[in-house]
Amino acid sequence: MYFKGINFYGDRGLVLDFGNETSKSISQEVNETFLNISNLNLPSLNIIPSFNKIVVIFENSKIRDQNKDKISMKMKETNSQTNKKVTKTWGIPACYNENFALDIKIIQELHQITKEEVINLHSSVRYYTYYIGFMPGFPYLGDVPSQLITPRLATPRVKIPARSIGIAKNHTCIYPKVSPGGWNIIGQIPFDIFDLQSSYPSLFLPGDEVKFYSVSLSEFEKIRKYNFSLNELIKEYSS
Amino acid sequence: MNSIIITRAGTHSTIQDFGRFQYQHLGVSPSGAMDQRIIIELQKIIPNHQNQFIEFAYVGPSIKVKEGSIKICVGGNCNMSIQKNNSSQLECQPYKSINLFEGDELIIHNTIDSVYGYIAFEHGLGLEPCLNSYSTDTKAGIGSINRPLKNEDAFHISRDVSSWNLISIPKPDLEKVTNFKVYPGPQLQYFSDNTLQSFISSVFTITNQSDRMGIRLKGESPISSESHDILSEGILPGSIQVPSDGQPIVLMRDIPCTGGYPKIAILNEADISRISQLPPETKITFDLQTIY
Repeated sequence: MYFKGINFYGDRGLVLDFGNETSKSISQEVNETFLNISNLNLPSLNIIPSFNKIVVIFENSKIRDQNKDKISMKMKETNSQTNKKVTKTWGIPACYNENFALDIKIIQELHQITKEEVINLHSSVRYYTYYIGFMPGFPYLGDVPSQLITPRLATPRVKIPARSIGIAKNHTCIYPKVSPGGWNIIGQIPFDIFDLQSSYPSLFLPGDEVKFYSVSLSEFEKIRKYNFSLNELIKEYSS
Repeated sequence: MNSIIITRAGTHSTIQDFGRFQYQHLGVSPSGAMDQRIIIELQKIIPNHQNQFIEFAYVGPSIKVKEGSIKICVGGNCNMSIQKNNSSQLECQPYKSINLFEGDELIIHNTIDSVYGYIAFEHGLGLEPCLNSYSTDTKAGIGSINRPLKNEDAFHISRDVSSWNLISIPKPDLEKVTNFKVYPGPQLQYFSDNTLQSFISSVFTITNQSDRMGIRLKGESPISSESHDILSEGILPGSIQVPSDGQPIVLMRDIPCTGGYPKIAILNEADISRISQLPPETKITFDLQTIY
């Protein structure tokens, strides 16, 4: 148990504190708690998990104060309970072709490994979705194998192509759409992971597991042409 | 059918409502009207606004009725006039309903000693919501219109005006506040007692690098903190974060969903609306209150 307590955040927010460290097991507790709090159906405006905090926002202090105890009680309850796993595991096709792998050489040179080794290492791990943030649908995945840990680009790129796969420090990510950013780009996936037309717009949720598998450029283009909807993607690529 | 066309977009004109909620854990900002007090007032005059308000900053839009007629109301402190079809010009006031007929053009010149103004339209603007809200987040490209308004944008309002009766309310007392009582931020412990003392005794100036995402302040001297880099965590509008240059930023409605700078303090909800109306160069001060 990492849960430390609940603090106020201004006149209408609460912060559930899970300490100042970061690890997969802390994030698992954070994300399980996130689901538990969400399932309480409180009149909250937003519930935002991150590495070791959950921020819960209400419309005003009155509603916040009326609901604080419900969260405290739930936290005590879950202390003595094991949570059911409701998250998904994804197998996501990744094309590491040189057209997309804009910064793979930086990682190769830093760690003195071949391109194939980078690809094999990156696609060997089942990543954990720490949280979604930075931009709509952007998953913070980790941890990458130690031989791939690479600092952010010294000068961020002005325009990273949509669906790019990046590595920064011990995390890997997918850019849902074109964006400026400082992650080392090593490949691209063939479909969109954030869809405003869907009532639940993000393919990934905090706590989901993601494993990449390498596909050729021709396979990539074949999948790209399908133009999957989010619902089709869930059927096709989650287990 | 009634239709209108934007003949001059104005500056920073977007569609806004009371905000987009329940999606911040997916990286989607709450957005919504910068000054929520004004759209709450406009509801009294145009109850059937369909949550489709136009927000503008400094220079307002001009809107011409192409077909049919519409009923609107403007909120905020602004100069405006109506260019009638017969080329006469009418003066008009905020917080009074306005009937516009084919060929009429509403010209909102500018906001006076404030930043944001709003237009409510009876029966809305014929838009579809995006993630349960009409608000535009231009940075994320989300919204019933996912960009600022531009010249020639046209809207079709299928329902006709319910009544031509003119309705007005007394001009609301949106007093200008420059001293803000703030709550301690989640990283208060990152700041020394001396720093906190200087935070509440200094005068900060609102800079022109301010927008719907945040208001950048310039202090008399930079605010130092134990660390300017924390692990990203959920943030809410009104938070005052201190990046490495020591110049605080008040985060506003198009907030980044998570932030990695320590937050020294946070404004209450009503003060977010108040501070949004202060133009660049306004001097402000903070008082730290410790009772919740």
